[in-house]
Amino acid sequence: MNGILTGKRLLITGVLTPSSIAFHVARLALENGAEVVLTAFPRVSLVERLVRRLPGPAPVVGLDVTDPEQLGNLADRVGEHFGELDGVLHSIAYAPPAALGGNFTTTTWPDVATTLRTSTYSLHSLSIALLPLLRKPGSSIVGLDFDSSVSWSEYDWMGVAKSGLESCARYLAYYLGPQGIRVNLVAAGPIRTMAASEFTKEPGDDFYATWQAKAPLGWEADADPVARACVALFSDWFPATTGEILHVDGGAHAVG
Amino acid sequence: MTETREDIYGEVSAIIQEVTGMQAADVSPKKSIVDDLDIDSLSMVEIGVAVEDKFAVEITDAEMPKIVTVEDLIDHIEQAMAARD
Ligand SMILES: NC(=O)c1ccc[n+]([C@@H]2O[C@H](COP(=O)([O-])OP(=O)(O)OC[C@H]3O[C@@H](n4cnc5c(N)ncnc54)[C@H](O)[C@@H]3O)[C@@H](O)[C@H]2O)c1
Repeated sequence: MNGILTGKRLLITGVLTPSSIAFHVARLALENGAEVVLTAFPRVSLVERLVRRLPGPAPVVGLDVTDPEQLGNLADRVGEHFGELDGVLHSIAYAPPAALGGNFTTTTWPDVATTLRTSTYSLHSLSIALLPLLRKPGSSIVGLDFDSSVSWSEYDWMGVAKSGLESCARYLAYYLGPQGIRVNLVAAGPIRTMAASEFTKEPGDDFYATWQAKAPLGWEADADPVARACVALFSDWFPATTGEILHVDGGAHAVG
Repeated sequence: MTETREDIYGEVSAIIQEVTGMQAADVSPKKSIVDDLDIDSLSMVEIGVAVEDKFAVEITDAEMPKIVTVEDLIDHIEQAMAARD
């Protein structure tokens, strides 16, 4: 298949349901010529079913990004499929119910720690675990962000985690840049996924409607434009861009 | 393709057993999938995906919460297949 990712080999985390942003990235990457390996958590069998809906084959490896042992042998397990990687998608976030949904003032450290470990530190641990396989120079690490420059109703400690993620991406860009590895984030507008349903109890129609009204381009809560941005960042068309946050939100972040 | 309700039930029951490791005798039409069968939300997602693939029907995110019992799921499949054919 021909496309802007022809010849690229990507590791994609974060596929959980057909709505997952990562599922759309995997689909679009395959359509554009990439080869992909998916990681799965917590149900490998579910991800294997979803692979059958993709336009090409994709091996699945299990990965709990908070498990040092699984991270420790990740490069070996991925290496069985691909000798080298051109890109990694970090599409992972989790916060216990006590850390979001309006519980900000009463959240205790163990719940905050779980949130930060899974949603912030994991960008570091995943990148470093895969460093031996990443092509140098020329590979690209892409993470999913939600604008953390302001506070949001109910997003709570996940918002704090995203601020940390943004900073973590800049430090990784700094430390991995000399090896020719780019690290960027895509800050998406709201999309109805499993992760989003955890913090908007009512499927958040008001939130989506407000976003739609605010965004100069409008906002259909569609994952496809987000996936396109990720694919673009994996391609050779952003060779001098790192430490960047690319907003794919209909432009909502730019207006007051 | 004329699948009887019993055929659909048999296939849905097989999917539930495959996804959850449950025995056939534990699955019955009136049982609530989440409360009686104690199936977690991710198993429910997996059952939904398997059903969609098996019967070539769609269960939208909005429809999913309305499916409570095994029977509801079978009703949904029957209606979706009828609408499609
Ligand atoms: N949905 C939105 O509105 C939105 C907006 C902006 C950014 N994002 C971000 O996009 C990313 C993907 O979320 P999504 O919306 O596609 O939802 P999702 O629920 O489909 O994906 C979340 C993913 O995190 C993974 N995960 C959680 N804990 C893990 C662990 N310990 N180890 C490995 N993987 C783990 C899950 O397996 C799942 O695939 C997240 O970083 C999220 O914050 C989402």
